[in-house]
Amino acid sequence: MSILLRSSEINRLPVVTFAGEDIAQIKDIVYAARGGQVGGFTLNGRGLFAGPLKTALPWEKVVGVGPDAVIIRGEDAFTPVESLLAAVQSGEPAAGDILGSQVLTDDGAALGVVVDVVIEVADGGGAAQADVVGYEIDPAEGVGRGTNRMLIPLPDTLSASGEHLMVPAAAREFVTDDLAGFGAAVDDFRAHLRGGPR
Amino acid sequence: MLFSQAIGRKVVATDTASTVGRVNGYVVDPQLPGVVALIVSKTSAEGSALPWANIIAFGVDAVTVPTASAVGVPDPDLAELAGKPHTLLGKRVLTTAGVELGTVLDVDFDPTIGRLAALLLEQGPLDATRLLGVGSYAAIVRA
Repeated sequence: MSILLRSSEINRLPVVTFAGEDIAQIKDIVYAARGGQVGGFTLNGRGLFAGPLKTALPWEKVVGVGPDAVIIRGEDAFTPVESLLAAVQSGEPAAGDILGSQVLTDDGAALGVVVDVVIEVADGGGAAQADVVGYEIDPAEGVGRGTNRMLIPLPDTLSASGEHLMVPAAAREFVTDDLAGFGAAVDDFRAHLRGGPR
Repeated sequence: MLFSQAIGRKVVATDTASTVGRVNGYVVDPQLPGVVALIVSKTSAEGSALPWANIIAFGVDAVTVPTASAVGVPDPDLAELAGKPHTLLGKRVLTTAGVELGTVLDVDFDPTIGRLAALLLEQGPLDATRLLGVGSYAAIVRA
């Protein structure tokens, strides 16, 4: 089983060790594999006046991510921020750049603006992957969906420039409103792109 | 037996038949997981730690110890575990999958060997063998 989380829900989660100590909290998500996967996290200290830490948390060292905490074995899971960024460096725009991008289909229609990233965390932790499976977008007027935010599934790979996010026109058919039914929509959409049945 | 049931129980020395103090708390080693010492209040001597090894019996009406000197100042390892951050009661419980299960309301333990049996949460008991650690933020259990 896997769970879906919004990136805004992961930000500010406490990072807790097996010993039960909250030694940091998530500052931001660092994306790898051209924005398609979570590569790790940058960290803030805990507490009201704590600033950003010079260490970061690579995804391989994460035991579990849930709605309430990010769990690691111990403080030795941390690496310097530079080495994490170098490890996932791919010349692609970073996480913050995707937020606010305009979503364009390949037939030239604007669907809206990205306001959140949906991440799928496979259960079990450790070797588990965290895939970016979709975006929550503020719909453009032309889409005719009012002002309700909508969720749009993504294929495994995508192109993003920091200005635009290109999605296949077919993505439009798989838009859903709620996170509960979103997992199925992602699976359907990916199967569709591979030429399989809907 | 529950932690809450034994709080306030007398600690009696068998050599003088006098009350040494009363059970006021538990020191838990989450690695076992088990009770490694009791915290005894109202003692006349210095120190309030009663290591589990010094207990003759954890009876239904009293905890018996050979002499009053069984209760003393904890050694550094024990003092570390006895620190406030490692208290189980009232602590939030997180699984290794990052999901909060609730808070520890009480703990069920075996009074003959001190081994923890279950953590009692709002939603029900949780097998104590799943416990990985207890820190200032949370008790961590295997998912």
